[in-house]
Amino acid sequence: MTADTNKFVIPIGPQHPALKEPANFEFWVDGEIVTGASVRLGYVHRGIEKGAEVRTWTQNLYLMERICGICSHVHATAYTLGVEKLAGVEVPPRANAIRQLMAELERIHSHMLWLGVAAHEGGFDTLFMYSWRDRETVMDLLEKISGNKVHYSANLLGGVKFDITPELATEVHKGLDFLEERNRFYLKVVTTDETFIGRTRDIGTMTTEKAEFLGAIGPTARASGVARDIRVDAPYLTYEQFPVKVMTHTSGDLHGRFIVRIHETFESIRVIREILDHMPQGDLTTRVPRRIPAGEAVSRVEAPRGELLYFIASNGSEKPERVKVRTPSLCNWSTVLSLAIGLKLADMPMLLSGIDPCFSCNDRSISLKRGQQGAQVWSWEKLRQYGIEYYR
Amino acid sequence: MNLPLPSIFVLLIFPGGLFLIASGLIYQWADRKLVARFQNRIGPRFIQPLADTLKLLAKEEITPVGVHKGLFFALPVIALAAALTAGLYVPLFGFQPAASFRGDLIIALYALSVLTLAMGLAGANTTSRFSLVGATRTLTQLFSYEAPFLLSLLGPAIAAGTWQISEIHTYAHQNLWLMIAQPIGFVVAMIGLMGKLELPPFDAPEAETEIVAGAMTEYSGRGFALFRLGKDVELVIGLTLVSAFYLGGLANPLEFMLKTLALLLVLALLQTAFARLRIDQTVGLWWRAGALLAVVQLIAIVLGRNLGSIF
Repeated sequence: MTADTNKFVIPIGPQHPALKEPANFEFWVDGEIVTGASVRLGYVHRGIEKGAEVRTWTQNLYLMERICGICSHVHATAYTLGVEKLAGVEVPPRANAIRQLMAELERIHSHMLWLGVAAHEGGFDTLFMYSWRDRETVMDLLEKISGNKVHYSANLLGGVKFDITPELATEVHKGLDFLEERNRFYLKVVTTDETFIGRTRDIGTMTTEKAEFLGAIGPTARASGVARDIRVDAPYLTYEQFPVKVMTHTSGDLHGRFIVRIHETFESIRVIREILDHMPQGDLTTRVPRRIPAGEAVSRVEAPRGELLYFIASNGSEKPERVKVRTPSLCNWSTVLSLAIGLKLADMPMLLSGIDPCFSCNDRSISLKRGQQGAQVWSWEKLRQYGIEYYR
Repeated sequence: MNLPLPSIFVLLIFPGGLFLIASGLIYQWADRKLVARFQNRIGPRFIQPLADTLKLLAKEEITPVGVHKGLFFALPVIALAAALTAGLYVPLFGFQPAASFRGDLIIALYALSVLTLAMGLAGANTTSRFSLVGATRTLTQLFSYEAPFLLSLLGPAIAAGTWQISEIHTYAHQNLWLMIAQPIGFVVAMIGLMGKLELPPFDAPEAETEIVAGAMTEYSGRGFALFRLGKDVELVIGLTLVSAFYLGGLANPLEFMLKTLALLLVLALLQTAFARLRIDQTVGLWWRAGALLAVVQLIAIVLGRNLGSIF
């Protein structure tokens, strides 16, 4: 889309109360009606992919966890799955079950966080405060298991660090009962509150065809009836043993996204209970060599926001040759931009948060130099120096 | 209750002027605290609104590029002055109004509208895009709630047969609480007050997740402090008016406190219970439901009065 100087442009970001992370959106409005939209990302590029190339396989585990503060576990899981595939290591079933348990606890905390943020964007602060208060329960559970609330760091190459003792299992059960009850209440609020329905129903409706066409993934796509979930389509960890149901909704609007995410929370609670009751016995770790054999691997997992893909290439040394991360938020931006047109300006914050965006995970940098022959490879040191100079 | 005080004292210190501003800050605190408690938060300390105001007054005032300087400085003053003027005609703290004449109900209401108008102009005066959208929304909202709110206050006026606030007040005091006699009018007045004060869910004009602070975005320091004070004073006056008309009058300061705080409690509950309405939803609600309800109430009162005189 080309910029038209006669248009009245409302900028949202890079600094704006609606955004918790920097990104720049421009909405062209005619009165209150949005007639065009554009997005500019890249304010929080951190050079993590390049950084991964100068760190050892184990060090990278901690780096990958820090790609996202909300889905830290799922990033580390995707990375370890890829590395383990390259190394040809078989992880003990108990470790895989604990990984799945942590991933589902993380999904609950992410979806409850999203519920609060999305409600806040719609001016429903009471729901925001309540859901974040109750989210503390699942954060506390994660802390009890791992010792940390945000970066649980449960994964090791070849296993997990923490065991789930019977005492812990009882506590998790107790916490889940509370969370299930609270989420039932939120489902009731979301489906019965008139003002809330007025702000979400038939707003930003995306048909199944359009979702497929735009390549939407995760709960955003599932709310439009696209039954796609890596946990079911290509089961990893112990998702074959403890399967989850794909939650879809047919409406495709913002309201559907709320319902799908709350139903997914219920599904996560159910599967965690199942894992706790039928936890496989055995070791927690297995040995992984320091040098990973040369080769390439792709690992796919279902993050709370959708499919997360890692491409890992090894040259047989202690450090990876290349780690490529494709986060789910990047796939959903096109849905925001194409759905925005024709809606009201007041719907924009909710539409933006409707895909549960995570800005810092999806910033990549590409430098195009015209007229120059041959590829140019920057070292980590050079990239680092460039970053320091750029902001000096 | 009548006050044997010189008029300059009434105007500047008590019950208008300083005392009104102080109580505005207290009511702002009560409102924030109640909303916070309903939302499971701690809420501000008692001294917080005063601290905010003093800090803003001491801050450097930044004049943005492209504004009309005179208007930029004059509008906050006009807004606060208008709100304080409206305070002269209402039975504040249970005392008789400081000034009273026939038709002062209209003057008081329009003095309050001047405040909103000043905020709209202040937004339109700047070149900031958030301010412009905020100003449009402020004025759109003004046109949507104003008529039903006025109609809902006309109900008691027609029942009392006068447009003078003090006389309506006396009438309300002597008769059955008008909240019971005219329930629809009371509901419309309460919701109208929320629209006037731009409280959630009618806070589209200052929806922070869309347009930052709406019309006030470019104001910092003194101007913003004065606008805030104007809003606080408006809150007190609005509560006074509604409780004087619909809750059986305000005989003394204690009754004033109890009745207005009870109203504030209801306002705070309503603020927490809903998601923010879009501006088109607000306008639709007012003109489809609010105005219609107020008219129905008005017709009922007129019929009641005329039929009553026949029998």
